[in-house]
Amino acid sequence: MIEDVLPDIAESDLEAFFQITHTIYGYDFRDYARASVLRRLGTILKKYGLPDVKALNQRLLKQKEFFETFLSEFTIGTTELFRDPSAWVALRKQALPLFLSTSQIRIWHAGTSTGEEVLSLAILLTEMGLYPRAQIFATDIDQKALQTAPKARYPLRYKRTYQENFQQVLPDVPFSRYAYEEGNELVFDPQLLRNVRFLRHNLVSDEPFSRFEMILCRNVLIYFTPELQDRVIRKFIQALVPGGILMIGTKESLFWCKEAEKKLASVNNLERIYRRQG
Amino acid sequence: MSARPYLWVIGGSAGSFTPLRQALLQVPYDPELTLVLCLHRLRQARFQITDAFLRLRRWHLSEPDDKTPIQGGAIYIAPADYHLLIEKEGYFSLSVEEPVHFSRPSIDVTMFSLIQAGWPRAGGILLSGANKDGAHGLFMMYQAGYFTAVQDPADAEVPHMPNAAIALFTPHQVFPISTLPHLLAQKPIPS
Ligand SMILES: C[S@@+](CC[C@H](N)C(=O)[O-])C[C@H]1O[C@@H](n2cnc3c(N)ncnc32)[C@H](O)[C@@H]1O
Repeated sequence: MIEDVLPDIAESDLEAFFQITHTIYGYDFRDYARASVLRRLGTILKKYGLPDVKALNQRLLKQKEFFETFLSEFTIGTTELFRDPSAWVALRKQALPLFLSTSQIRIWHAGTSTGEEVLSLAILLTEMGLYPRAQIFATDIDQKALQTAPKARYPLRYKRTYQENFQQVLPDVPFSRYAYEEGNELVFDPQLLRNVRFLRHNLVSDEPFSRFEMILCRNVLIYFTPELQDRVIRKFIQALVPGGILMIGTKESLFWCKEAEKKLASVNNLERIYRRQG
Repeated sequence: MSARPYLWVIGGSAGSFTPLRQALLQVPYDPELTLVLCLHRLRQARFQITDAFLRLRRWHLSEPDDKTPIQGGAIYIAPADYHLLIEKEGYFSLSVEEPVHFSRPSIDVTMFSLIQAGWPRAGGILLSGANKDGAHGLFMMYQAGYFTAVQDPADAEVPHMPNAAIALFTPHQVFPISTLPHLLAQKPIPS
């Protein structure tokens, strides 16, 4: 049972925390939405038995190897195979067919976490015969998640949800075509990852590294302030080829990005799938 | 950003849904008041709750998206499978971090965020419910000086949630469900 925490965090300690993570480790969390930052810090303090953020700061200063562990706890990696099935159905029916005659489909999956959504995408591309032409770049800042993702193995207890989601998106396809049980793990067909590269990339500070026919970034923007959302969505728009597809999370919006109004047309507004115009 | 509206955070689970809906139909529209409903419900029940509330006329009713500005005269329902957080800038944030008390949305999470955002004028209400999510959050609101009210466990369909709160502290008001419309029509003032 997870109990909740309400930490008392001094503004000056928080400021020092932002300084340390930025200047020493190169991660700028200043424009992350504050409520969630405070929650994560509270959880980390509790987990590592630290009395306050000052103590966390000390640890980050003294113990360089602690940072990756910290980062993995600080980021929220919750994901699923085909989370929000109706969104994936919309992607399959309304967006992916646009690429049936495209010779090269470069896809950027930003905020990939442990890779379940990349597998979701790879499965759809395979079913539609598009996979051989696809090149997928899956990125995140969480190094631990990036080490897990390429294995395509997950705890067996996730099987029920993953299979239910899968069946909602692809009712006529047997789940066993892509996944099997091994010991207490659910293992996905490694072929699904043959055109996938996992890379570390920070949406806050790094520039897009190519141009793409499609960009998927779901449930990452929710952790950003409106200002940072605006900056990141602009980067996405720039990196999309004309006619390229952008998909964000079902409860995320482009509301704070003026550029999106001009450059993006909706493919499915409810499921948050857009297309770059001209 | 204009002045922050008065805000009620209302939490409930089993047994709270029908009485709450009935009560809301009787609350007169107030452009300075905002109701935030944090109810436990099934995953992927995306539109059910908003549909059920559609008869409300003037209130602006929605399941907020991430970063939706918090406005007066509005009723917001926490979307299924996300935590609903209140930011001091005056908008909501959503999060998919782990459930609290097996719940996402969690009432504790919303109440804690309200306290940390230092929302100026707010109150917390706990209704019928099957677990203790919200009890701790309401207690913290009480300690932070916000008005707190709990449905009388004696007439709650499932008294676990109100009981859990009452076990922690003495709320400002323990009310029978029949008086909920009256309570909601009042602007919450600091205790
Ligand atoms: C909630 S998960 C979303 C996973 C998946 N896209 C989904 O919706 O199921 C958010 C992910 O965003 C990543 N993230 C957070 N900040 C980031 C940043 N600045 N750049 C890239 N990824 C980031 C986190 O590490 C985490 O893996």
